[in-house]
Amino acid sequence: MKNLFEKLTIAQKLALVAFVLGFIALLIGNPNNSNKITINAKELSLSTIKDHDKINVMTLADWIIKEKGDYTLVDLRSEKEFNEYNIPTSINIPIESLLNSDLMRNQKIIVYGIDDVTSAQAWFILKSANYKAVYILNGGLNAWKNEILFPKLDVNATEEQKAEFEKVKQISLHFGGSPQIISGGTATVVNQEIKAPTTPKISAPVSTGKPAAKKKKEGC
Amino acid sequence: MMPYYKFDYFGFDFSLVIAFVIGIGFGFALERGGFGNARILAAQFYFTNMRVLKVMFSAIVTAMIGLFYFAWIGWLDLSLIYIGDTYLVPQIVGGFILGVGFTIGGYCPGTSFVSASTGRKDGIVFILGILFGIFVFGEIFPLIEDFYYSTNLGRATLPDALGLPYGMVVFLVVLMAIGAFALAGWGEKVMSKKNWSRC
Repeated sequence: MKNLFEKLTIAQKLALVAFVLGFIALLIGNPNNSNKITINAKELSLSTIKDHDKINVMTLADWIIKEKGDYTLVDLRSEKEFNEYNIPTSINIPIESLLNSDLMRNQKIIVYGIDDVTSAQAWFILKSANYKAVYILNGGLNAWKNEILFPKLDVNATEEQKAEFEKVKQISLHFGGSPQIISGGTATVVNQEIKAPTTPKISAPVSTGKPAAKKKKEGC
Repeated sequence: MMPYYKFDYFGFDFSLVIAFVIGIGFGFALERGGFGNARILAAQFYFTNMRVLKVMFSAIVTAMIGLFYFAWIGWLDLSLIYIGDTYLVPQIVGGFILGVGFTIGGYCPGTSFVSASTGRKDGIVFILGILFGIFVFGEIFPLIEDFYYSTNLGRATLPDALGLPYGMVVFLVVLMAIGAFALAGWGEKVMSKKNWSRC
């Protein structure tokens, strides 16, 4: 047997090694099972307490306007809901297909659903699957609607509040929203050009084109 | 855990240094393998010298087995390995054009640089041809942009496409490689007897 092995040329020996390794690989099957997840419970609970994992809608709006490209905004709702309306620059990955997506583990990922519940679930799934930087859009799409698309100002607001509202108004108009002033229960749309009813059916703003650019360019 | 770049062991600038070192090694290996010689490369297309096939398949099998076992041991996160998107039809057309150029010129882009760096004139001319081709491509790109981005399959891999476990694909590719080596060895003898080649 030993004699037989020595008779082989180097190429044949290497081929034999490759064959053996290939055969063992056949028995191993999949090298890493992406459905099996490991959790560092303490680390997880710590990061929730610190509140570092949340991003406010105002901050996000600011990033979108400034065209910051270092994050990926993920819409967790169904494709139908996504097509009806989505936050500009977002990509649609329904929560059930999150682990099979193209998201990279070193990407900065911001998730949002209708409210915080789905995002919290998604956050947990991604965190436990070893995604490094996952953030929740605080309040989800509801907060986006209330604070960015249809911000409201009370008629009896103080000067300070009014000044603050002016800033919000500009952001809101940028995203095609309609800021409103509330007096005695009825809301008036501030900007007359947009003839939207009190809580108008939101229409998708013109997509800004490509989803958030990938951080690192690669290829050969 | 690998890949080091994705886990931020070093930044973009240093990654260029590493790419440079790997590039030197790659070029050296190609040159020592005889890939700086257009006659050897072109002979592949006349089946008189199967060195290209052997070297390429050896590289594929080595890398594949290495990646598989590294991932299995836990040194490497396979999901972080960059895989370019597959644009099926444009890439088939592109591959055909590259093949034609390869057969005519005797080099692929990488080996032409290897050849030029050892001072071969045909390699230098080939590089000029590459630059001209890049220029033409850039100029006509607006016309072919739609085609260029058509039939996008995304991150396509064999295990996904065939629905097989990774290990099974590894084994099949190894079998395929060993079969190809045996066939190449036999084919070289037959073909060189027939003396089809003009090289």
